[in-house]
Amino acid sequence: MRITIPHLGNVYLAVKILFDSLGLDYVIPPLNSREALSLGSKYSPEEICLPFKLMVGNYIAGVESGADTVLLVGSCGPCRFGEYPELQIRIMKQLGYDVDFIVLDPVQSIGLNELFKRIRKVGLESGKSALSKIGSVFLAYNAMRLIDEIEASAHAIAGYETNPGEAKNLLSSCKKEVFSCSDPVKAVKILNQYRNRIKTIPADYSKKPLKIAVMGEIYTVIEPFSNLYIEDILMDMGVSTVRRLTPTWWLKDMLLKTINLNSRELLKASNEFLPLYIGGHARECIGEAVLAAKEQMDGAIQIFPMGCMPEIVSKSILPSIAQKKKLPVLSLVVDEMTGEAGYLTRIEAFLDLLERRREHVCTRC
Amino acid sequence: MYALGVDVGSVSTNIVLLDNSGNVVEKLYIRTKGRPMEAVRSGLAVLKDKYDDRQIQSVGVTGSGRMITSIQIGADIVKNEITAHAVAAIQADPEVKTVIEIGGQDSKIIIIRDGVVTDFAMNTVCAAGTGSFLDRQAERLEIPIEEFGDHALKAAVPVRIAGRCAVFAESDMIHKQQLGYATCDIIGGLCEALVRNYLSNVAKGKELLPKVLFQGGVAANKGIHRAFENELQLPVHVPPHYDVMGAIGAAILAREKLEREKKKTMFKGFSVSDAEFKSRSFICGGCPNRCEVVCVLENQKAIGYFGDRCGKYNNRSFSPPAAYV
Repeated sequence: MRITIPHLGNVYLAVKILFDSLGLDYVIPPLNSREALSLGSKYSPEEICLPFKLMVGNYIAGVESGADTVLLVGSCGPCRFGEYPELQIRIMKQLGYDVDFIVLDPVQSIGLNELFKRIRKVGLESGKSALSKIGSVFLAYNAMRLIDEIEASAHAIAGYETNPGEAKNLLSSCKKEVFSCSDPVKAVKILNQYRNRIKTIPADYSKKPLKIAVMGEIYTVIEPFSNLYIEDILMDMGVSTVRRLTPTWWLKDMLLKTINLNSRELLKASNEFLPLYIGGHARECIGEAVLAAKEQMDGAIQIFPMGCMPEIVSKSILPSIAQKKKLPVLSLVVDEMTGEAGYLTRIEAFLDLLERRREHVCTRC
Repeated sequence: MYALGVDVGSVSTNIVLLDNSGNVVEKLYIRTKGRPMEAVRSGLAVLKDKYDDRQIQSVGVTGSGRMITSIQIGADIVKNEITAHAVAAIQADPEVKTVIEIGGQDSKIIIIRDGVVTDFAMNTVCAAGTGSFLDRQAERLEIPIEEFGDHALKAAVPVRIAGRCAVFAESDMIHKQQLGYATCDIIGGLCEALVRNYLSNVAKGKELLPKVLFQGGVAANKGIHRAFENELQLPVHVPPHYDVMGAIGAAILAREKLEREKKKTMFKGFSVSDAEFKSRSFICGGCPNRCEVVCVLENQKAIGYFGDRCGKYNNRSFSPPAAYV
C-alpha cells in the first residue's frame, strides 16, 4: 500500500512525520500550484468549490507518482464537503485510476466500529507495535501543534520585526528543513528549535502595526495557494494577522464535537448573530468576527471559495457585525478564475482604509 | 513645482500635473491598448518639451499597470486605484459621502464618512456596465461613444434590457433591435439596466448617502448619469476632472508622502520617454510555486522584476515595497 493525501496548508509535514514514524510507504504530491488546479478543474464538476478541484489535482499527481491509496478526512456534513469523497472516488474511477480511498469520517456519522475498521486498514500496514503506533500518532500531533504555533508566531510578529521579512524567511526555511528530514524524531526536534528561534526574532513592540483577523472557510484560509498567499502578502506589508482555524483546531474540534464541548468560545461569541449551526464553519466565522471586535483588532478579512453555502450566509451577516461592533470587514471570494491584480487591489485598499480610519479615530480622541 | 500623477488603467492611461495649490495644469488621456509602458512613454514625451525634470517634485502611480510603471518612471508612491480615487474625490468635494467610479474594466463604490473611507466594493463577477462594454455596444450600433449618452437622453420609452451579464445584455439588445424598437430607446434601456446591475451587485448592502460623486470614464455618459439620478432619487455630481481622478489622487498622495518624509523624488526624468522599454516573463522553476516572473528591460538592461513570491528576483536591483508604504 502506497498512501497519498490531499494538501491542506502544512498538514503534509505532520503526515510525513506520522508515516515516517509508522514506517509506511507514501507519496506527498507536489504543493498546490497552477498545474494541480488546472488538472483538478479539468476533471471536476464546473460548479463545485475550489478545494474539491485542488484535491482532485493532488490525487492525480499522487497516483501518477505511484500511490494506490488516498487517505482523507470526510464530514458527511451539511455542506458540499460531505459529498467530496463519494464524488472524488467516482471521478478517479472514471479516469481509469485503480485507487483505494480510505475516508476518515467523523464518529457521529459512521460509528466507532467503522472508523476503527478504516483506521486499522492503514495501521495494519505498519510493522510497529501497538504502543509505538500510539507514540507515532502523538508525535505527529505534537508536530502539527508545533507547526501551527510557529506559523501563528510568524504571522503575529510580522508587524513588529526590526528586520522586515525575517519571520517570513524563517517560516519558509523551517518548512523546507522539516520536509527534507526523514527522521521523524529529528524533524520534531527541528520544529522545536524553530519555535524558539521565531520567538527571539528582534522585534520592536512599540510599533503599532495593523492587526487583522483572517477568517472564513477552513480550507481556503489554511491552504495558502487557494487564497493567493494572503498571509504572506500581509506579512510583506507589515501586518500582524491572527487566524484561529488551524489543522490543530480542526482536530480538537472534531474530537470534542463528539461530546459537544467543541470551540466553546467561538460558538458563544457567535450566539448574538447566528445561534444555529448551518454547516461548514459559518458560526465559527461569525464568532471570530465578534471576537476580533472584542479584542480591538483593526479589521477582519473573510475568505471563501465561490459558491460556498455556509460562508455566503456569514457574508450577509457580517455587515451588521461591522456596523454594531465597529469592525471593518473585507470579503474575498476565490476560485480558479480569481485574478491576482484585483485581489491585491482590494487588500491594499482595505489596509489603507484601516490605516486612515485609525489615524482619524486617534486624532479625534 | 509640480506633482505628477499617472493612472495606468486597462483602457486608458491618464497623466496629470498638479501645481502647488492642487490645480490641474496638464491632463493627458491616452489609450493604453494593452501596452502600458508605451502609453506612459508617449505621454511623457508630450510633457517633455514643456517642463523640466527639476520642476517635478513628486510622482505617484496607480491603476492596474502601476507596478510596471513605477519601475519604468521611478515613482515615489504606488497606490491602488480605490484609495487614489477616494483621495481625489475628497479633495474635489470635502462633503462627499459616496463615490461611484466606473472605469474601463471595473466599477467601484467607495463609502466615505467625515472624509475617511469606511467601506468599498469592486465588481467581482461581471464587467457589464463598464467602459469597455459600452465601447463595444457603441461600436456595434455605429454610434460614436461620445454621443452614446445623448441618444439615451432622447429615449421616449426605455426598453427593459437584461443587464445581469455582458453577454446576455448584448444578445438581449440584438433581440430588441430585431423586434424593431428604436435605437434611442434601446440605449436608454441599456443605461438603466447597467445602473440597476451596478446597484444590485457592486453597491449591494451599502448605504448611499448624498453627496454622491460619479467619476471615471463612464461619467461622461449622460445616459448613465441620468439613470443613476433616477434610480437613487438623489442629485449625482460629476466633478470637472472626472476622467482623471485616479491620476489626481496618485499625485496628491505622492506629494503628501514626500512632504511628510521630507524626501526627494525618485523620478527618473522625462528622458525615460526616449528609452526603449520591454518586458518579458518567465516561469521560475526554483520551487513548486512556479511563479510567473516579469522582468522589465530598459534599453536591454534589466531594471526590475516582479511577480515572484519569495523575493528572489525582486531584491536583485530594486525593491517595490519601499514605495508601498
